[in-house]
Amino acid sequence: MFARHVAKKLSAYAHGELAGAESARVATHLASCARCRGEFEEIKLGIRLVESVPARPAPAAMWGEIEAALPALPATLPASAASADFESTAVHATPRRRGPLRRRARGASDDFALTVGRASWLAGWRRAAVACSLLVLFAGVCGVVWVYHGSTRATWEVASLAGAPRVGSARVGKSARLGVGEWLETDADSRAELSVANIGQVEIDPGTRLRLVSTRLTEHRVELARGRMHARIWAPPRLFFVDTPSAVAADLGCAYTLEVDDKGRSLLQVTSGWVAFETKDRESMVPAGAACVTQPGTGPGTPFFEDATEPFVDALASFDFARGGADALASVLKEARARDTLTLWHLLARTSGADRVRVYERLAQLAPPPANVTREGALALDRRTLDDWKGALEATWLGGRDTNIKGTWRRMRAWLERNCPIP
Amino acid sequence: MEQFAVMTEERGGAGLVESCQRGDREAFRLLFEEYKDKVYSVAFYFFAGDEAVASDVTQQVFLKLFTRIAQFRHQSEFSTWLYRLTTNACIDEQRRRKRFEPVEDTAAAALPRARGSAEDRLARREVRDELQGAIAALKPKLRIAILLKYFEELSYAEIADALGCSQGTVASRINRGHKVLARRLGHLRGSLFRGE
Repeated sequence: MFARHVAKKLSAYAHGELAGAESARVATHLASCARCRGEFEEIKLGIRLVESVPARPAPAAMWGEIEAALPALPATLPASAASADFESTAVHATPRRRGPLRRRARGASDDFALTVGRASWLAGWRRAAVACSLLVLFAGVCGVVWVYHGSTRATWEVASLAGAPRVGSARVGKSARLGVGEWLETDADSRAELSVANIGQVEIDPGTRLRLVSTRLTEHRVELARGRMHARIWAPPRLFFVDTPSAVAADLGCAYTLEVDDKGRSLLQVTSGWVAFETKDRESMVPAGAACVTQPGTGPGTPFFEDATEPFVDALASFDFARGGADALASVLKEARARDTLTLWHLLARTSGADRVRVYERLAQLAPPPANVTREGALALDRRTLDDWKGALEATWLGGRDTNIKGTWRRMRAWLERNCPIP
Repeated sequence: MEQFAVMTEERGGAGLVESCQRGDREAFRLLFEEYKDKVYSVAFYFFAGDEAVASDVTQQVFLKLFTRIAQFRHQSEFSTWLYRLTTNACIDEQRRRKRFEPVEDTAAAALPRARGSAEDRLARREVRDELQGAIAALKPKLRIAILLKYFEELSYAEIADALGCSQGTVASRINRGHKVLARRLGHLRGSLFRGE
């Protein structure tokens, strides 16, 4: 299908300057066009670069210099002295500079001298218009306050789906706004829906506590302290992040459910696309149909498909969180199916020495590596080799879905509680 | 500062302009306080961080603003009018200076080479200088569009109004500006966003 590239619209897209339909077209195109995604990465870098430039405060003494250069001002200046076309003066249409500041000040003084004579006859009319002026002033104050808040305080719309969700201490009626730093909370009977800027939606289940951390062109971030959220994001990768007590979920263009329990453990379940679940030194790439568990102090465990066998999942939890070592790894390898190469591929980087060799051999047995993937490269964790193998494996990771992830999550939490409790 | 904010809010944007039109010197000061940093920032980065030129341009803008404010007839947003004055002042100043010293060449030559540094503070300063130089090295039309977007926080429609061109042209200039900066400063990605 013919699809126009969107490279020229990417800054307007990032700035939220496109109309809804056009913005959606750009988002859809980005999801399928690597070339435009590359361009978008470039635009985002440009945006972040300029955003990092600090505003410069004007020198403190400047007012004194300007005031000294100003002519003695008349008590009242007539607005009618205006030249009608002054406001529409376009760029480059101003006269060239005539000389230094002081000389311009004298010119300005002349301008004012021409207008003073006509000032007095307007005074009466002005007094009669005081009431109107007050109304204008009031509208002005409202306008300034509205513009100020609109431009400096980005907020997300919150809609109540059931019960009485709260933003801070205020109950959400039909809808409300969630500002940066504010908490959205749902009790046992309430649910809410959040509009994530113009890039997606998040549904909040009962018993959830979530905070908006930041929202800007190149990053939208929330903190999920506890509870469960369902996210649907249609933006390009790595614009939407969720901080949990034990890892960060980075959206890669997807839909997913994320749950955090009272101990700070979390379960990520991806229903479409990919999510990266990561800490500073560990990353789990989780595709649709797979899940990943995190534990405070350990970070994201190894991702696994929801339809993996129970012994496989238990052995994996033991390996990830209870220092199960070689025995747990042996059980994982024994129970692994072709689709569990997702888990094994991740385990290559999470094992060493003889254990890594065992993982490689089982992985190669289940899915022989393509010609450009060498044993040496894989065991040395060569980035390109691992990426090539992952690319070849992805076909076996698609399709198939199990809906029993909630049962798996309950079982894993109980297992973790017994084997590696959090004080 | 808090007192100033209250006063400004009490008087309101439109009310402040009208007070200035009546010759209220305190209103002039409040209006100056409200906009001075934004105007100065645009001029500062337009002229590659030259504080003296930025100060001069800012003074020109406000002096022209105050001496002509009686002519403002509320047919457009006051801020648009102000930024049009700012844009004109920057471009006129650049024209004048170009006869003696091409700003683009100077800025490009001033770009420091990327290199490592033991001192974080020095490294940050180098990054900042490099960014500043790259912005100043943009073509003036791209530069002013970028500066109005980021320092005045204007929408594309407002920038188009201030520059006297279409929104499509503004979108194109900003897009090109972003790309030029990203390509020129791609090596800063690591040092700029380290620790995020």
